[in-house]
Amino acid sequence: MPPSTTPEVVENDLQPFFVLHKASSRIKDRTPTAQTKLCKRNKLSSSPASEKQLRGSVTEECDHHLFQQPQIEAFDIVWTKIESTIKDVLRDLNASIFHDIQQWVLECFNATKLLGEPTISEATRSFPVLNNTTPGKLFTSLVSTRNIEYVDDILTFEELGNFLKSHGFHVAMLSSLEFSLKNGIADCLKALLREFLGGAIDSADISILASWYREQVNYNKPLVLIINDLERCCGSVLTDIILMLSEWVVKVPIIFIFGVATTVDIPRNILPSHVLERLCPSRFMLGTPAERMDAIVEAVLVKHCSTFSIGHKVAVFLRNYFINQDGTVTSIIRALKVACLLHFSMEPLSLLHGRTLAEDQEEGKSSLSPETMLKYIDELPLYARNQMVDHQTKMSMAEGLSDLVTKQKLWSTAVLCLYEAGKYSNVRLLDLFCEALSQDLYLLRSSDCHAGYEKDRGLFSTNDRCQQYPVMQCGGFIGQIVRKVRDLSTGVLYQLIESWGKITADISEVHEKLETLRASVRCEEGKSPRKSSKGISRRPASKISVNIDKNPRMLNSQAVAFLDCLVRNFLRPIEGMPFHEIFCFKNVEKLQLVLIGDPRRRIQVDLLEFHKILKCSCCSKSGNSLVPSRHDSSIMYSLAQEHGDLINIHDWFQSFRSIVLQHKNKRKQTAKQSPSLKKRKDMNGSADQNESSIQARFCRAVTELQITGLVRMPSKRRPDFAQRVAFGL
Amino acid sequence: MELNGNWEEEEEDEEEFEFSRNYFLAKELASSAKKSKSKNRVTDINVVDEQELREAAWQIEPKHESEIVLLLDSYKTKYPEWLLALRCGFGLLMYGFGSKKALIEDFASTALTEYAVVVINGYLQAINLKQVLIALAEVLWDQMKAKRRVSYRDLPMSQQSFHSQSMDDLLTFLDQVEIEDGGFFVGVVIHNIDGPGLRDSETQQCLARLAACARIRVVASIDHVNAPLFWDKNMAHTQFNWCWYHVPTFAPYKVEGMFYPLILAHGSANQTVKTATIVLLSLTSNAQSVFKVLAEHQLCHPEEGNARDQLVIVMRKQKLIKSLMTVKKHLSKMHKHRLVNLLRYFDAQNCSYILVNNQTLKEFLEEVL
Repeated sequence: MPPSTTPEVVENDLQPFFVLHKASSRIKDRTPTAQTKLCKRNKLSSSPASEKQLRGSVTEECDHHLFQQPQIEAFDIVWTKIESTIKDVLRDLNASIFHDIQQWVLECFNATKLLGEPTISEATRSFPVLNNTTPGKLFTSLVSTRNIEYVDDILTFEELGNFLKSHGFHVAMLSSLEFSLKNGIADCLKALLREFLGGAIDSADISILASWYREQVNYNKPLVLIINDLERCCGSVLTDIILMLSEWVVKVPIIFIFGVATTVDIPRNILPSHVLERLCPSRFMLGTPAERMDAIVEAVLVKHCSTFSIGHKVAVFLRNYFINQDGTVTSIIRALKVACLLHFSMEPLSLLHGRTLAEDQEEGKSSLSPETMLKYIDELPLYARNQMVDHQTKMSMAEGLSDLVTKQKLWSTAVLCLYEAGKYSNVRLLDLFCEALSQDLYLLRSSDCHAGYEKDRGLFSTNDRCQQYPVMQCGGFIGQIVRKVRDLSTGVLYQLIESWGKITADISEVHEKLETLRASVRCEEGKSPRKSSKGISRRPASKISVNIDKNPRMLNSQAVAFLDCLVRNFLRPIEGMPFHEIFCFKNVEKLQLVLIGDPRRRIQVDLLEFHKILKCSCCSKSGNSLVPSRHDSSIMYSLAQEHGDLINIHDWFQSFRSIVLQHKNKRKQTAKQSPSLKKRKDMNGSADQNESSIQARFCRAVTELQITGLVRMPSKRRPDFAQRVAFGL
Repeated sequence: MELNGNWEEEEEDEEEFEFSRNYFLAKELASSAKKSKSKNRVTDINVVDEQELREAAWQIEPKHESEIVLLLDSYKTKYPEWLLALRCGFGLLMYGFGSKKALIEDFASTALTEYAVVVINGYLQAINLKQVLIALAEVLWDQMKAKRRVSYRDLPMSQQSFHSQSMDDLLTFLDQVEIEDGGFFVGVVIHNIDGPGLRDSETQQCLARLAACARIRVVASIDHVNAPLFWDKNMAHTQFNWCWYHVPTFAPYKVEGMFYPLILAHGSANQTVKTATIVLLSLTSNAQSVFKVLAEHQLCHPEEGNARDQLVIVMRKQKLIKSLMTVKKHLSKMHKHRLVNLLRYFDAQNCSYILVNNQTLKEFLEEVL
């Protein structure tokens, strides 16, 4: 391939890298106000009839860059809020274990000090203090992450490091990358020195660390080395470093914290016994990913549901993705972030959301009045405002929005109360959350509820008082939770009611109902049934006054009544409410596409059904049959499907050739039939050319399939066969 | 909802079953075919002259040109969405059949004009990442100077000093979070992040660290169906932070396919001057000198190979290298890039041949070294 024949390939394409362009300085002159003016001018010159057209022109005229500014601001506000909530949740979750580890480090440090302090002459020498007793032991904690994927724990260990640093410890964080065979102990030691001393250290010498530690400011503080993924470390490098540090333990009293994903036996598998002898292990356990997941869902999607919420389908997708595919909290956080991005990128009205949140943060308000909403709507950029045609729409929207925020609060309180009760029947919040978001189940419950009342009247004398509440008939997790509440013992029920009290403290509508329940609890405690009958939920009042002291299950029945009331009145999924689009992201298909690429399947589909993407007239007509007008690679890949895992190149070529020539023959025929058409080239001359061109096309199609990784080249052992790599979509 | 869940699970099971069934069907087909296995040989094809084949390969008439143009145009409506994702801190990963080189470069030159953009051609055989990082640092430094984000006092390093810095320092420079403007970054376009020059795990780790830098945003493309296997969850979810976009273009893989041998051309494993030059220039200067010695020796003694021990003696004389280990390292790297062939003789002498014919080698020596 001489360079002269490749004019298409420009010089830049053959450079390993090149600067495409430098940043333009245009941006300086453009301020948001300039952009607003531009947009306003657009508005003036437009008629409301051509709304779509206008939007297009705005997009063109206002530079994308500035056009996106409000979206980016809204995204930043919302995501920063969610992210900080998540961080707080995870920190709280780990708080007690971090505290335990800190105590343990202190104990270990004191124990190491008992080995004796080096004398001045010993301390200034550049070799370790060797007692005549056995070499020092290194205290090691194995922190079981209970999660095979270490990605979730990177943040946990970082937080642990910061926590220990805040207590005045010296902390070094190393990852398994530093413990690779290729880099060896020298690089590992350099990284260790860099972590403790800060700045680049050129020589790998442990005595540097010893003399640094001897300095007044550093001395007498524990040295902690955290390695977050022990399984991935190279055993021999780790062995070397442990042996070395154990010899230096008097001068450098280092304490290990290892993150282990599988079992705490793992050191036994990767370290030889004489090294294990030098370690003095303890064990700590972190929370499981499922616990973390529930804590995050609770804080982000339930408690702060008015920040950002997701539709039922999205919730189910995330749940399945977490349980069946990925299992890491990191990926769910990322999924939320992507959902957030798509929300602001696809829904123009979502900008309102960003504004309200920003205002919320400043004023510390939890609900918004229609007037404030109206003000925000007026300040929306043009393209978003276009969605609302007149003042009336704006007004109803403002009212609807403020109503939506209030109802969301009630929904979240109801879910939290159910979750609190669900803890006794081991219901995961993620499952409950999905169920609480389902519009179908909500409708089903409403119809059941109606039927339930009818049934109630008929079955007045039923033995189980709880059965009269429609919520008992619910399937799924809510039904399970309620049935468990029915059977709870009185002591546990008291606790549950107390925790409900805390949850509902700010929400007056729910709190009132709970207060009546609590009043009856107090009555029961004080054995004064007469008083209790006063405020209990309206419906079965007459029955209660008769039965309360006879039936020990009365309290349970009242708790069930409370839950029934919550579910009936407040557990209304956001998707059923007007204007929910502003806060709620529902487009599960788009999320799935952006979040999880599926190149293996998609690239094959591109090849097999390429006419559906290109929408060309020539191939679309013939459907999936192999017509010569199809892309060469597409023909080749379709042909490859007929072979087993090995493709005979000769056969492959011949079938390709026949398909391509079928086309030529047809064209020849038409040419013969209509001699008036343009004269064709000399057939004999073009035959060779055809042959070489077909061969070249065959070669290039194989190369393309090879680039996509669908076909492997023939090996020396089997020169006549290419190998298929992908089977099925 | 439970019903839904179950249904979806069933569907997934079904898909998995489908996959394994396809696999075993293919295997079965192969084993049954063994009995009547096609005996046809590649050599039975009347292959045209290699030169002619290569020329024909460059003159293949493209199909569906107008439809492809329309398709590429239709992606233009997605530019704002991509730009938004990029500005919000995500990386873009483009996949789908067809070369995405033109598409991504068009996106970069129309939507990313506010930012400097550096392109890495991952389809090439060897890429020196350190040089890329230096270039990026320089570009970022220029950009900061232009916007007067920092005064010279705040930034002790000068442009020249980037060359003497380690990878870690360069990455730290690119990761500056002090600059308040979050939208201040350098775009990095990586064509074929799954390409041969970037395929090893160390390079991928390095790219992931680069992508995680605060002042860097990556737009990359993949073509290989199994490319996601390069990344563990930390790399894919937190460092690269990919947003996936399916953008089949059906454009021919012209440059990307340049380095692949043509299946019907027999001597195709050999390098041409052009490809060899590209590979050689990406190697270190020391490795280039080793290659020069090798080439000179091969031209003087065309019949015999370069015995490695001999090579070491010559190089020591020229004070090029100190130890056998270094020569071994260089030779294996060149072997990896298909510049030389390593042979072991029965007397345990290791020999190496440069895989270019002597005439080409002469031209090559004059041109490059």
